Amino acid sequence: MTFARAVRGRGRSLAMLALVTATMMVVATTVASAGTIRLPKNGVEKPPAANLTETGSTLLYPLWNLWAPAYEHAYHQVTLTTAGTGSGTGIADAASGTVNVGSSDAYLSPSVVQATPGLLNIPLAISYQAIVYNIPGLNAHLKLNGGIIAGIYNGKITNWDSPAIARLNHGVKLPSLPIVALHRSDGSGDTFIFTQYLSKQVAAWASGPGFGTTISFPAISNGLGENGNGGMVTGCQATPGCIAYVGISYLTQALGDGLGYAAIANGVGQYLLPTPADAEVEAAGFTRATPANEAISMVDGRIHGGYPIVNYEYAIVNKHQASASTATAVRSLLEWAVNAKFGNNHGFLSQVRFDPLPAPIVAKSLRQILSIR
Amino acid sequence: MGLGAVLAVLAVKAWPAVVVNGWGFVARSQWLPGNTYGGVVHTHGVAHPQGSLYGAWPLIAGTLETSLIAVVIAVPLALGTAFALTERLATWIARPLGFLVEILAGLPSVVIGLWGVLEVGPFLARHVYPLVASHVPDTGPFRFLTGSVGYGEGLATSGLVLGLMIVPIIAATTRDLFLQVPALPKEGGEALGLTGAEVARRVTIPWVRGGIVGATVLGLGRALGETMAVAMISGSVLGKVSPNLYGTMTTIAATIVSQLDSAATDGTGFAIATLAEAGLILAVIALVVNLAARRIVARTGRLAAPVGRG
Amino acid sequence: MAVVDQVYGSTRRRRAVDWAFRAGALAALALVVAPALWLVVGVVARALPHWRWNVLTTLSAGTSGGLENAVAGTFVLMAGVALLAGTTGVLTGVYLAELVGPRRSGRPGGVWARGAIDVLAGFPSIVLGYVGYVALCVALHWGFSLLAALLILSLMVVPYIAKSTESALRQVPTNYREGAEALGMSQGYALRRVVLRSALPGIVTGLLIALSVAGGETAPLLYTAGATNNLPTWSVLHQPVAYLTYYVWTDYNQPSNAAHVVSNDAALILVAMVLTMLVVARLIVWRTQRHAESAR
Repeated sequence: MTFARAVRGRGRSLAMLALVTATMMVVATTVASAGTIRLPKNGVEKPPAANLTETGSTLLYPLWNLWAPAYEHAYHQVTLTTAGTGSGTGIADAASGTVNVGSSDAYLSPSVVQATPGLLNIPLAISYQAIVYNIPGLNAHLKLNGGIIAGIYNGKITNWDSPAIARLNHGVKLPSLPIVALHRSDGSGDTFIFTQYLSKQVAAWASGPGFGTTISFPAISNGLGENGNGGMVTGCQATPGCIAYVGISYLTQALGDGLGYAAIANGVGQYLLPTPADAEVEAAGFTRATPANEAISMVDGRIHGGYPIVNYEYAIVNKHQASASTATAVRSLLEWAVNAKFGNNHGFLSQVRFDPLPAPIVAKSLRQILSIR
Repeated sequence: MGLGAVLAVLAVKAWPAVVVNGWGFVARSQWLPGNTYGGVVHTHGVAHPQGSLYGAWPLIAGTLETSLIAVVIAVPLALGTAFALTERLATWIARPLGFLVEILAGLPSVVIGLWGVLEVGPFLARHVYPLVASHVPDTGPFRFLTGSVGYGEGLATSGLVLGLMIVPIIAATTRDLFLQVPALPKEGGEALGLTGAEVARRVTIPWVRGGIVGATVLGLGRALGETMAVAMISGSVLGKVSPNLYGTMTTIAATIVSQLDSAATDGTGFAIATLAEAGLILAVIALVVNLAARRIVARTGRLAAPVGRG
Repeated sequence: MAVVDQVYGSTRRRRAVDWAFRAGALAALALVVAPALWLVVGVVARALPHWRWNVLTTLSAGTSGGLENAVAGTFVLMAGVALLAGTTGVLTGVYLAELVGPRRSGRPGGVWARGAIDVLAGFPSIVLGYVGYVALCVALHWGFSLLAALLILSLMVVPYIAKSTESALRQVPTNYREGAEALGMSQGYALRRVVLRSALPGIVTGLLIALSVAGGETAPLLYTAGATNNLPTWSVLHQPVAYLTYYVWTDYNQPSNAAHVVSNDAALILVAMVLTMLVVARLIVWRTQRHAESAR
């Protein structure tokens, strides 16, 4: 029984059992032979000496910076260079072979896969998004849903005391304050999942602005573009009345800057705050639906208790590497990253407020990793 | 030669966009990347995402507007600065002040952009723009100066910060030029009873006019192509021209930097081709502006400048 | 006096105009200096509370740690640009000012070269960076590398150097050249010993602006130099180079306080570097000028 066959099994326990069986049968070190690759006992291949480079998502960048020294410490023969440049650049650099590993907040589009057939998107962790606002004097968490947020971003709802918001928030004293809708001016995975949420909740948004890493937001006089998540937080802090969407890693900074954050309607109509537990519930609800290539949106699923704006953070890797030894080093790095004992350890992930991958997803990611040659 | 290579690469990259976007590109206002996760359609044999429709008019307008504001602000400031530094102030104070102006030239645009978006924009929107907007008459061309003053990100702030950024480029050259003007004609002017202002207007400035225009064109070039600062201060709103002086907008260069990353997620490559086409348009604008400037230099150069070398 | 009065109107009016002119000049200076001070003080004030000297001797850890690699990388980039763009730019400037004969119409020659330079100056740095990425890093398989970054940065700043060299040379008084000619110097010798020397302050100023522009660039480097937390190596290809603006730009947009400290520190170091460069250059210029005057 090989590992590759084992991970086809469904469900957490089966995969774990298979993992244990597989690792017990494995010889001491890796053999990258013609057929299957056997993982050593700890689940991570021993890399040859290599210089690995990573560029891409600025949301994943802090995590890579935590991972790089730890991985280099475990395997002195490898140096790992990281850079935060943006998801699109990560995809393009991985596709062109300028770097070994790209990282992206969004999965690959069919047209990108068509242009570079060997490109894989491999989940490394789970992130989610908070909707923040700057309403001085308000301490409660506002309840918001897709309809209201879309109304704000297309200019139909312009004041925080509008009846639509008040109806949802009985007992909350809403000030008369004009709303300023912030969006990301640079292309961003955050815009991707935010607009996906609006598209799934509001049919008119889906057929209108739609979703993407850059979309044409309705041209409204009270809309502002901000650069990066950092720009969203500082811009929102400087603009009373603002509403913004930020990656969960930025929640601490947003709270420190005096911003509030909303409870968001999920696919079954519950209003939930962005907590690690509720994001994990959403992700767990998608483990079965996640296909073998792991390209899937987890936004706004019909999952009881699941926070609706959740996504996989991906490594983008070309299946065909320049040499066998580079391929081994890349596999080793990614095996280490998705392993719950190493990279997917809570100690790393909690520092950036990410959630670890569910075990069945680790198995699916490993299957993809092992196809890198 | 380097320029030729750059233009060639750009033209090759832009060609699919030129074919699909057509002439309407410079007139349209929409900036719709289309559904990059949906179907791919073909127009004139070029693949692009379903629903994609690009227009560069707001970017072109924004580029010209911000650069115009910048030059209008910067030229008098730079001339005044250079004059004050060379003619009016004692050396002990002129040296450090001149130094500060030079430092301004060396500050990274990222740093200036941060300052613009965090400090200058909010300050102007709170204290300066409302004053202007409420005191100009609401008629004719002045209407452009009225209306909502926004939140400090937009056309006016971008133009002002750009102006400040190009002042040192113009001022440094102008100051060095002023210093090169021999003392003799100036003293001669003074001996004839001319005031300081008249010496400057009749002797100093004509002596160095060509150099000043050259420096201005250089500054204009920087304003047209400035990327990071404008990307941070303009409000980066795609698809619309600012209705008044204070509204959010974007420029060609700012759009390229803020959209290049997400353009890479369009697997057909059409989004990147469109950005390359926008870059080509900027090159053409720079060329036209330069030719116009050279015409002006040539004409004024023949009319005036009786002294100094040709 | 009578003639002057006829042309220029009443003395009182002329006085008023003169006063307004002087006040305007000083106001313009104030309007430029005040924001510059505001900017510099802001940069210092943001960085100083958390400043630690070991930032200069510790390697970066991306969103935390020191900036030794970025400082070293920025120096390497600036030195490379000074070498590449400095030579090209000054030679181009000399060519345009001294070697191109005037056209028959009496206008200055070298129209095409000058047009190319002006267009290049108006080119957005991000486009140059993108072209560098497509042509050098990807098509030529250089990867993120020092050479790609240097070529693109140099292309960017050559216009500044060429332009300032040209205008500095053009402002050298004609009688210097005539004097040199009268003394029987060859054109090349006169250029080297007389014309270039008196144009030096202008050339150096242009070079400095160009270098500080190069050191302060972000967008083109993101796509050509890449980024790394290690020191620059001797290989000009396939090895990314670190630089300060990367950390200003990337870490400003990161959530942790440690990252903001890195960003602020990088901005402060950049400002300090620019300042030092300008001080040194001013000293050089001042010395040469004193020499030139005593030799006169």
